[in-house]
Amino acid sequence: RLTQVRWSRYNPSFIEPEVNKELQQKPWEELSEEEKQKMELKAVQPIKAAPPSLSSSVFSDPMISKFTNMMMKDGNKVLARSLMAQTLETIKRKQLEKYHKAPEEEKEKIECNPYVIFHQALKNCQPVIGLSSITRGGKTYQVPVPLKDNRKRFLAMKWLITECRENKHRRTMMPEKLSQELLQAFNNEGPIIKKKHVLHKMAEANRAYAHYRWW
Amino acid sequence: TLRLIYTTTAVQRKNVGASGPEKYTEEFIKKQIEEFNLGKRHLANMMGEDPETFTQEGIDRAIAYLFPSGLFDKRARPIMKHPSEIFPEQRKIQWGEDGRPFHFLFYTGKQSYYSLMHETYEKFLNVQRYQDQLAAQDLPPQKEKKNLAGSRWLTKIELEEMLLEKLSDDDYSRFIQLLQKLMTLPCGDTEEKYIEKFLREVPAQLKKVAIEPLKYDERGVAFSTGEGARKTARATAVVYDNGSGKMTVNGIDILHYFPVLQDREQLLFPFQFLGRVGKHDTVCTVSGGGRSSQAGAIRLASAKALRSFVTEKEVEFMRQAGLLTYDPRVKERKKPGQEGARRKFTWKKR
Repeated sequence: RLTQVRWSRYNPSFIEPEVNKELQQKPWEELSEEEKQKMELKAVQPIKAAPPSLSSSVFSDPMISKFTNMMMKDGNKVLARSLMAQTLETIKRKQLEKYHKAPEEEKEKIECNPYVIFHQALKNCQPVIGLSSITRGGKTYQVPVPLKDNRKRFLAMKWLITECRENKHRRTMMPEKLSQELLQAFNNEGPIIKKKHVLHKMAEANRAYAHYRWW
Repeated sequence: TLRLIYTTTAVQRKNVGASGPEKYTEEFIKKQIEEFNLGKRHLANMMGEDPETFTQEGIDRAIAYLFPSGLFDKRARPIMKHPSEIFPEQRKIQWGEDGRPFHFLFYTGKQSYYSLMHETYEKFLNVQRYQDQLAAQDLPPQKEKKNLAGSRWLTKIELEEMLLEKLSDDDYSRFIQLLQKLMTLPCGDTEEKYIEKFLREVPAQLKKVAIEPLKYDERGVAFSTGEGARKTARATAVVYDNGSGKMTVNGIDILHYFPVLQDREQLLFPFQFLGRVGKHDTVCTVSGGGRSSQAGAIRLASAKALRSFVTEKEVEFMRQAGLLTYDPRVKERKKPGQEGARRKFTWKKR
């Protein structure tokens, strides 16, 4: 009997659950052929249970829950979630301050929705190309490599969190520092955007080794 | 070293038919069948029933009465079944008295597999010729698309049992690829019958669990119960109709019992998914586990209870959202030689 290192309590035939209320409300005729086939296939396959962080309510966002999990230390989800909530609140407060102080013309341009700011900031932080170390003939070269979507999101979130944990004054709270960084990233300024540009420059500098990549 | 955790019973069955040349001769099996029939008639006479209409169930009852056994393993108790069920199907000897084999592909080693491949490819060529004929005359007719979701191909073990020969994974995949190629062409009726031999039906997942009807209270309010579990927590939920969305757990309101927002979100998940947030009253009891597993157990229990209030399509949507499956994830055990379930001891060079 053989095990792989990565195994799960579910049978491999089980499929990930989909918590999308809009699919439910579409009537049968409006679905395209592909979707109908997908639905029929799904009707025969068993589905895994939804994890506790997933919910169909308006307030749960997969990106935000991923970020909260990455911020979590020692399994303290309560603390991580409260920090996240406080961050979003501080972002909203800062934006509202700016909104009330700004003149009439600029009022429409100020974004007040913290979720939109969060998503946009993450998008701005994502690197397009990364470096991978490849060993050829004894020497290790840093080869520029296109990154997958998951990897980009992970790097953006990781940089945000490490930046907030290390480069701050001892007395500043995490939500304050995080909201500062997020607003800076939203406006394409700040240390994380700088880090992304540095990575892009390194990739450009090592362009000569690009042919070492075989995938 | 590697170890398989999740196995199905299909994997554990041995394919005796493919293992070697026959161990029982044909005459031996014929004799066994005659003896079985004689014994059946004797049994019927003994039990006082009609020998002509004596079924297998009757035989089982008679044997259980005449030879009572207290053994725990059912397979060790005395059985009397038709010899075709006891002696597994085996390949008969494939060569005649002079030593010359009957089948022309005997010396390939896998005669039935190769003959099957030849047959299937012949059908494939026939279909192509038919298509070409139609193309020469008129436009080819549109093939009605068969429902691919309700059927699955034969598994490797089932195919081995059908052919009474051992197959390799490569052989099996080649055969399935050929069948799929045949399916994609607009094929005629004959080919469909041939392909159906290799298809097995897969019942829809919904039909496996029956939905209970609604029960009615003394006051005339409809309610239904559901049970749920997660890790070590066990919960029962009673969902009443015409309510105002109140939820009580072990006699305490959910705001006090679950101070964390995530748990309350989980409790309301089934109701929010169906759009019935303020319409049902719930009374739950829960024991065991921790804060999150209790919430998960109540979520499963209330989702199961809501099945009786809702149409079949919505039940299917709930299942696809993952609300109705029992979560099998439990704490992994600690292994000897390691510090935890996965963490190894610190590696020291000396």
